[in-house]
Amino acid sequence: MPDVLIADDSEFMRNLLREILEEDHTIVGEVENGVEAVEVYKEQTPDLVMMDIVMPIRDGIEATSEIKSSNPSANVIMCTSVGQEEKMKEAVKAGADGYITKPFQKPSVMEAIEDVVPS
Amino acid sequence: MNVDIQSLGTFNQLAHEGAKQATQSLAQMTGIDATVDITKITLLDRDDVGEDLEGRDFVGVQFDYEGVLEGDTVLVFDAESTDTIADSMMPGASEDPGMAQSAVKEIGNIMMSGFIDGWADYLDSTIDHSPPQYIEKSGAEVLPSAPEADDHRQVFVFKSEIEWVGESVNFYIYMLPEYEPLADAMVESVDTEGDAIPIDKLQTFNEMTTNGTQQAADNVEMMTGIPTDAEVTQISFAPIEDVPKQIGTDTYVGTVVEFTGVPSGYLMVLFDEVSAVNVAEAMMPVEMDGDELTEQHEAAIEELGNIMTSGFVDGWANVLQTSVDHTPPKLVHDMGRSIVDPLAAQVGQHQEHAFIIDSKMQTDEIEFSAEIHALPNEQELRAALDDLDVERADKTEADVEQIFE
Repeated sequence: MPDVLIADDSEFMRNLLREILEEDHTIVGEVENGVEAVEVYKEQTPDLVMMDIVMPIRDGIEATSEIKSSNPSANVIMCTSVGQEEKMKEAVKAGADGYITKPFQKPSVMEAIEDVVPS
Repeated sequence: MNVDIQSLGTFNQLAHEGAKQATQSLAQMTGIDATVDITKITLLDRDDVGEDLEGRDFVGVQFDYEGVLEGDTVLVFDAESTDTIADSMMPGASEDPGMAQSAVKEIGNIMMSGFIDGWADYLDSTIDHSPPQYIEKSGAEVLPSAPEADDHRQVFVFKSEIEWVGESVNFYIYMLPEYEPLADAMVESVDTEGDAIPIDKLQTFNEMTTNGTQQAADNVEMMTGIPTDAEVTQISFAPIEDVPKQIGTDTYVGTVVEFTGVPSGYLMVLFDEVSAVNVAEAMMPVEMDGDELTEQHEAAIEELGNIMTSGFVDGWANVLQTSVDHTPPKLVHDMGRSIVDPLAAQVGQHQEHAFIIDSKMQTDEIEFSAEIHALPNEQELRAALDDLDVERADKTEADVEQIFE
């Protein structure tokens, strides 16, 4: 099963993502900001990071950029409420591999993951 | 037509002064002190005028007026206050329905004459008005029809609220001017062209905000399963000190975020307490801790506020081809005015008046209603409207698949 790191400042959203993913994935960590996301990624090197954008301390786009700089083959899917074209372009520039906008249903999450980390 | 901040400020002040004059007339006639609570100018869809009056019965007077401004105006109050008002003018008047009606007409006549005369004096012209017509109706029916204009779906409404000190009586003045005379009067009252906003851009922005509200309502529905409809969306212009009064004294649960970009400002997503519980339980079935919201409820509301905020502002960013960032949502649970006070104070450091963007949504299925209020920086909103390409107004959604191809 692929290892997944969940980075989201919302406890509600972390729980929801865990419920959606835990049947087919191993959750290696849940973090609340971009700084922790980079730290845990470097420790665990999971197969996939589900990354929120709007987080305190450091946002998800900056964290994605650092993760991708340290490991260009890292897989990061932005998982955010932000549906702005400019932000999506920033996410592409940072190296994000996929983008899901909240609110989402399980099928759209699984489809995005399948595109990035084929089973 | 261009509307500039200065003329909106001037017209707001004018409406406030008119309401103050009406208030003084009221005090002279009844001996009871009254204060002008709120004065605002609102741009909204013709069909939404008077939505805030729904479910209540009103009594009052209606006039039509013509001259430098043309249109209709009403002064109304809750029907249950009729006896108090009639008796304050003439003890015992409430026992005779004819006398009570006459008292209402007279108080309305005197108050509204002061209101209209103030406008005419400022505009250095005359405004004639008809004799008062007594009205007794429910909800928005108490208001005159919004003026017709083939190419404008949205109308300006001037609203003042007068509070009778020591009595639970509120008077509401609504003035619905015809578009063209108002436009002419606004243009003539402008000294500078520098800060003018073309009215079509303000209307387009209002439509974009309506789309944003619908997106926020769709997000609520997707997260909770509760079918949710976007209701009223409007842009108002009011003095900073009046902003907290508009949110009222009811207790709300919700989120506040600061947004940065063009425009910057603050955005609140507010639920009344019952709605907050209902919506949180629809998202995450958890038991209440007595009457208190649990941490899980609060986490659910915080995330819903976050998602609704994005739904609301993303459309602005996409149409304006810019990005609008916002801070993580901060949970608030307090009286409406107390939530807004610090935000209005922040915005008020740089401006005397504020645009307030208000949206409401609700559902018939369970008790649920939500309000979104945005307080943008005035100069930045003006800059954003300056950049707004009206032709792009429907480009509110980004195509994620195309961008990630």
